[in-house]
Amino acid sequence: MIAAIDTAALLQLLWAAPLAVLTVTVAWGLVIRGTTRALEARRDGRTLPAGLHALVAIAGFALFGAALVVGLLIMIAKN
Amino acid sequence: MDSDIILVIVVVTALAFDFTNGFHDTANAVATSISTRALAPRTAVALASILNFAGAFVSLKVAATIASGIVDAHVITTTVIFAGLIGAIFWNLVTWYVGLPSSSSHALIGGVVGAAFASAGSSAVKGTALLEKVIVPALVAPIVAFVAAGFSILIAYRMVGRLRPGPVNRGYRLGQIGSLSLLSLSHGTNDAQKTMGIITLALIAHGNLTGAHPDPPTWVIVSAASAIALGTYSGGWRIIRTMGSRIIKMDPAQGFSAQTGGAAVILTAAHLGFPLSTTHSITGAVLGAGAAKRLSAARWGLAGNIFLAWILTLPCAAIVGGLTFGVTRIFGTGALGPLLVSVSLLALMAAVFGKRLQRGPALNAAVDS
Repeated sequence: MIAAIDTAALLQLLWAAPLAVLTVTVAWGLVIRGTTRALEARRDGRTLPAGLHALVAIAGFALFGAALVVGLLIMIAKN
Repeated sequence: MDSDIILVIVVVTALAFDFTNGFHDTANAVATSISTRALAPRTAVALASILNFAGAFVSLKVAATIASGIVDAHVITTTVIFAGLIGAIFWNLVTWYVGLPSSSSHALIGGVVGAAFASAGSSAVKGTALLEKVIVPALVAPIVAFVAAGFSILIAYRMVGRLRPGPVNRGYRLGQIGSLSLLSLSHGTNDAQKTMGIITLALIAHGNLTGAHPDPPTWVIVSAASAIALGTYSGGWRIIRTMGSRIIKMDPAQGFSAQTGGAAVILTAAHLGFPLSTTHSITGAVLGAGAAKRLSAARWGLAGNIFLAWILTLPCAAIVGGLTFGVTRIFGTGALGPLLVSVSLLALMAAVFGKRLQRGPALNAAVDS
């Protein structure tokens, strides 16, 4: 019966799924952290740090968006 | 004439199952968003409902298929499908009534397995496939989601722990809208297909469709999408309450971790061709996001009841599916048996929902609060 289980897919799931979750978590964490820090720096009149934090937020948002697109592509690919 | 009536009964029963599937599984997508106040309850179920409808059109791979490989294809008749659907609907209603999340797919598989067993004996059921497609995924899904969501919340706290809570909470609530959308779309794609597959299978068995892998007709796609969307909009509030606040009290970061954890596990598994239950994944993720913060934060007694419901899903749906098949056979192979069973089930549902409607205002007040 054990032979019937797709162990390759199972093992891949064990590392790929947590990796996907961590990628999305880090991406959205960067968005929140970058945005919050950028707003604080801007309020304090520190333009350069504000810009750098905003860039971090944008990078995080792009990564999060990419993860959503990958999710959509997986759904469509099942067709 | 009799076969035409049975076909109509099967189609209506399949759509009824689709409806129960929708309201039973609404909680998977919306519970954490509601409990963290990312969205108002009605807005959350409306969004989930629209995306479930849209999701049904994203992929049209016929999932007739839901019990294929598990049950010998030669024993599947419209009466077996009907009895299997009744088993699944029964279990969905029981678990909804007690407010426990359980897999609608496993209920459907259980129902069909029980009906096939009653129809043709143990040789009709393939134990190896049952192990591969149901039992192993049922063990793997909650564990992987639990671990993934646990790591996710620890990293999230590490990243934003020193920031002011106001913007952080707003940020995670916003992120939850994205993860809710992905989950709902994914649910519509997976679960509406089950109904499309069942109706397509019945149409093939009846001779309305021919060919090895015929596409479902447009009316089947639209009706299955509508039934799951309506079911979702009805909202299984009892299970929403269990998932959203009874297992753990979540903050927005935990809600985000649970939702993204569940969604990522489901979609990664789909990509790898490893079928996992949405319910099992999300429940595991909710527990993981809660337990990683503080082990005692999760209500383990309730979690135990949920696991018990998961274990009972397959056998209970199978018993009801088998009994239903037996009852229909008492009245011969014609339409009378399925007709009587359908009328009895409708009466039971009317009684249960009638009581619920009478208590509607109080329940709605509880939901909105």
